Amino acid sequence: MTLYLIKILIFPGLLFLFILSLIGEYYDRKLYARMQNRVGPPWFQPVADFIKLLGKELIIPLNADARIFKILPVFACVATIVAYLYIPLFSKTSLLPFNGDIIFVLYMLTLPTLSYALAGWYSRSPYALIGSTRVLTQLFAYEVPLFMAVLAPAILASSWSFSELITFYQTHNWLWLVNILGFIVAMITLQGKLEKVPFDIPEAETEIVAGVFTEYTGPLYAYFRLAMNMQTIAGASLVAAVFLPFGFGSCLIVNFVIYILKIAFILFLLALMRTLFARLRIDQMLVFCWKYLAPIALAQITLNIIIKAWL
Amino acid sequence: MTKRIVIPVGPQHPALKEPASFDVTLKGERVADILVKVGYNHRGIEKGCEGRPYLHCVYLLERVCGICSHSHSTCFIQAVEELANVKIPEKASYIRALFGELERIHSHLLWLGVAAHEIGFDTLLMYSWRDREVVMDLLALLAGNRVNYTVNVIGGVRKDVTEEEKGQILKAVDILEERTKYYVRVATEEVSFIERLSKVGYISYEDALRLGAVGPTGRASGIKRDVRKDDPYAAYEEIDFDIITDDHCDVYGRAVVRVKELLQSYSIIRQLIKKLPQTPLSVNVPKNIPAGEAVSRYEAPRGEDIHYVKSNGTDKPDRVKLRAPTLANVQAVAKMLENGNFADVPIVVAAIDPCFSCTDRMIVAANDVLSEKENRMTWKQLREFSINWYKKNKGVDFSKIKKSDKHI
Amino acid sequence: MHATDIALQIKNKYSSSVVGINVQRERRLWLELVAGDFRKCFERLIKEDGFEILVTITGLDTGEKYEVIYHMSDKEGRVLNIKISIDRDNPAVSTITDLFPAAELSERELMDLLGIKVEGLPEGRRYPLPDNWPQGQYPLRKDWDPSVLDKKIEKSGDKND
Repeated sequence: MTLYLIKILIFPGLLFLFILSLIGEYYDRKLYARMQNRVGPPWFQPVADFIKLLGKELIIPLNADARIFKILPVFACVATIVAYLYIPLFSKTSLLPFNGDIIFVLYMLTLPTLSYALAGWYSRSPYALIGSTRVLTQLFAYEVPLFMAVLAPAILASSWSFSELITFYQTHNWLWLVNILGFIVAMITLQGKLEKVPFDIPEAETEIVAGVFTEYTGPLYAYFRLAMNMQTIAGASLVAAVFLPFGFGSCLIVNFVIYILKIAFILFLLALMRTLFARLRIDQMLVFCWKYLAPIALAQITLNIIIKAWL
Repeated sequence: MTKRIVIPVGPQHPALKEPASFDVTLKGERVADILVKVGYNHRGIEKGCEGRPYLHCVYLLERVCGICSHSHSTCFIQAVEELANVKIPEKASYIRALFGELERIHSHLLWLGVAAHEIGFDTLLMYSWRDREVVMDLLALLAGNRVNYTVNVIGGVRKDVTEEEKGQILKAVDILEERTKYYVRVATEEVSFIERLSKVGYISYEDALRLGAVGPTGRASGIKRDVRKDDPYAAYEEIDFDIITDDHCDVYGRAVVRVKELLQSYSIIRQLIKKLPQTPLSVNVPKNIPAGEAVSRYEAPRGEDIHYVKSNGTDKPDRVKLRAPTLANVQAVAKMLENGNFADVPIVVAAIDPCFSCTDRMIVAANDVLSEKENRMTWKQLREFSINWYKKNKGVDFSKIKKSDKHI
Repeated sequence: MHATDIALQIKNKYSSSVVGINVQRERRLWLELVAGDFRKCFERLIKEDGFEILVTITGLDTGEKYEVIYHMSDKEGRVLNIKISIDRDNPAVSTITDLFPAAELSERELMDLLGIKVEGLPEGRRYPLPDNWPQGQYPLRKDWDPSVLDKKIEKSGDKND
C-alpha cells in the first residue's frame, strides 16, 4: 500500500511529472530560442516563473463565477495527472492498468481542453469568450484525427490495452514502423491539443490577448500553465507508448533513459513545428484537419486492417 | 453563431505597438463592423513649431516618429530651403538620399518582423530583427544614433561619409542583400505564410485611389506612384531605380512590394556611394526666412509624407502642417476589413505599417484632470493608495521607501 | 504641358471665381478661389483637370482671417494648392467627404484645432483632441492662450493633492 502511494505521489507519479514538466518547458523554450537565433532562458526559468506566479496577486473578475473560476485550473491539473498515471512509461504496464486504458487516457486528456473552454466562458470577458469558442471549434477539428491515429496501432494489436499493445509490438519486431502515417497525424494533432503554433488559435496573442486565460492571474494562472506543461509530457508519453513501443526489455535504468530520449525526440518535433510555421486561421485549421489529417488517419487504419489479415 | 459581440482592439492591445483603437463588432468569427479611433498620441507638435526658431523645429519634427525621423526632418527642411531660395550642395543631397534609403531598409525590415509576429510566425520576426541590427549599427556608425540621426541642417548636412565608412556601408549592404534574398524565398515558398496573407485585406485599384492609399499600400494595389520618381528630391533624379508595384491587392502583395523595395534600396545605396560627389557639405542660410509658403513632399518608408510651411519673414515659422502617410492609409483599413475574419484584423492593420505617433502629434499631460467627473488619481494619491493596500492586505509597510520626486 | 500652361488654362476656365493663381515652380501651383464658388470649381477641377488625388487639407490662421488649403495632386505629380479664405466670425466650409471619404480626419482636424465648422460632415468621434478637451479651446488659433489650459490643470491638481 505504502509503495503504491509512493509510486502515485512521487515516482513515477505526481512529483516526477511535475519536475519533468518543468524540465520539458525549459527544453522546449531553449530549443525554440536556439532555432530562432536567440539565447533562450536559463535552466531555472520555468521554476522561477512558477514561483513568481504563485506569489502574484489573485484577481477574480467581478462578473466571473468565482467558484468555477477557481476550480477549473485545479481540475485541469488533476485530469492530466490521472491520465499520466495510466500511461506506461518505462515498463510494460502502467501504474493502474486495465483493459481499455488507451481510450480512457484519450478521454482524460480531453478534459483539460474542456476546462480551458469553460474557464474562458466563465471569465465573461470578450477576449476569453472568443477564445473559448475557438478552443471548442478546434477540439472538434483535431480530436477525431487524433483518436483515429492512436487507435490504428491498437487495431493492429487487437487490443485496447497499453500493456497488450506493447507486448504485441515486442513480439513483432519493427512492425511499429508501419504506423508512421499515424505517428505524423498524431504529432500534428497533439500540437493542436497543446495549442501551440501553428494551432495556437485559441490563444492568438495578437488577436485576443491570451484567449481563455486573459482574465487569469497569479496562482490560478500558474496552475493552468502547469496543466499545459503536464499535458505536453502526458501527450508525448501517450504518443511514445503507442507509436514507439520499444525499449521496455532491459533493466529499469536503461528503460528510463530510453523513455526520456523518446520524450525529448517528440518535444523536439513539436518545437520544430512551432518554429517553422505561421499561425493558421480557425477555418484553415478546420479544413486542414478534416480534409487532410482525417483521411490520412483513415488510410492508416485501412492499412493496418490489411496487414492484420496477413499476420 | 449570430450573436454579435464587440471586441475592443486597443487602445492597449498586444497587436498594436502604439495606441489606437479599433472596436470590432463580430458575428461569429466574421467582422460585421469596425470603428476606428485615433488621436491618442497627439502631442501638439504643429503648435509647438509655431513658437520655435527653424533650427529647433528640425529637432522637434525629427521626433514626430522614431522610425521615419529622417523623413520628417528632410521634408520640413526641403520646404524651408525652398522658402529661403537656397540650393543645397550636391553632396548634401546625396547624403540625404543615403540616409533616406538606410531608413527605408530598417523600417521595412521592422515591418516584416511585426507582420510575421501578427500572424504568429515568430521565427521570421527574430530573423528579420536580427538582420535589422546590421543597418541600425550602420546608422549608429554614420550618425552616432540608431534613430533620430539629426544628419540634416538647414542648407545641407552636418556629416560627411568617409572612404572607410563607404566600405562599411557596402559590406553591410552585401550582407543585407543576401539575407533579403532569403526572405524573398520565404515569402514565395513558405506555405502557411502565403496561406495567411493571400486574399486578406483586399482593396482594389479604384478603392485604393479613392481612399487615398499611398506608399507600399497603394503600390500593392497597382497604383504606380512614388514621390522619388514623380517629384524627385535630394539625389533621386540621378539614380536609376524601379517603382515596385504588385497586382495582388492584398496583404501578401504588400509584403512582396516591401521585400522587393528592399532590393531596390540596396541598388540605390550602391549607386549613391559610387557617385558621391566632392562638394562642400552645406551652404549658409540666413536666420530669417523670407515670407512665403511652400509644400514639400517626401517618400517615407510608409508612403508619401507632406509638409506645408508658411513663413513670415522672422526666424520662426507661422504655420507648419504635416501629413504622415499613415493618416492617408488608415481610412483604407476599414474598407480592407469589411467581411474579413477577426483573425485577420491585426495583420491587416499592420499591413499598412501604421505609425500613430506620426499621425497624431500631441499628448495631454499625464496627470491632466480636465474633466472633474472622471475618477482619476494623481501620482501621489496612487502611491498612498498602494501603500495602504499593502499594509492592510499583505502586512508590508512600504512607506519608508524613499520616493523619487521626478514624477511628482 | 507646363505648369504655366495649366495655370493659364485654369485661370481662363474659372475666371470669375479665381482670386489669384501663381506658379511657384514646375509641379507647384497655388490657386486662390472665392470661398462661395469653391465647391463648384472643386468638383470640376477633379473631374476635368485631373487633380484627382486629395493629399491633405491645411487650416491656418493668418490673424485677420482663416485660410483653408486643399492640397490636390494629379498623376504626373503636380500639386495644386487650392486656398480659400473665410471670415473669423462664424467660420465654416462645406465638406468634401462625399467626394473623398479620406478627407474625414483632416476635416475633423479643422474642427478641433481651429474651430472651423465643416458643414455636411456627419457626427462622429472627435479627432485629434481627447474627448474631455474643454469646449471652445482651439489650439491653432493665433489668439489662443495655452495658459488657460495650464491653470485648469494646476487648479484641479491642487485640489487633488
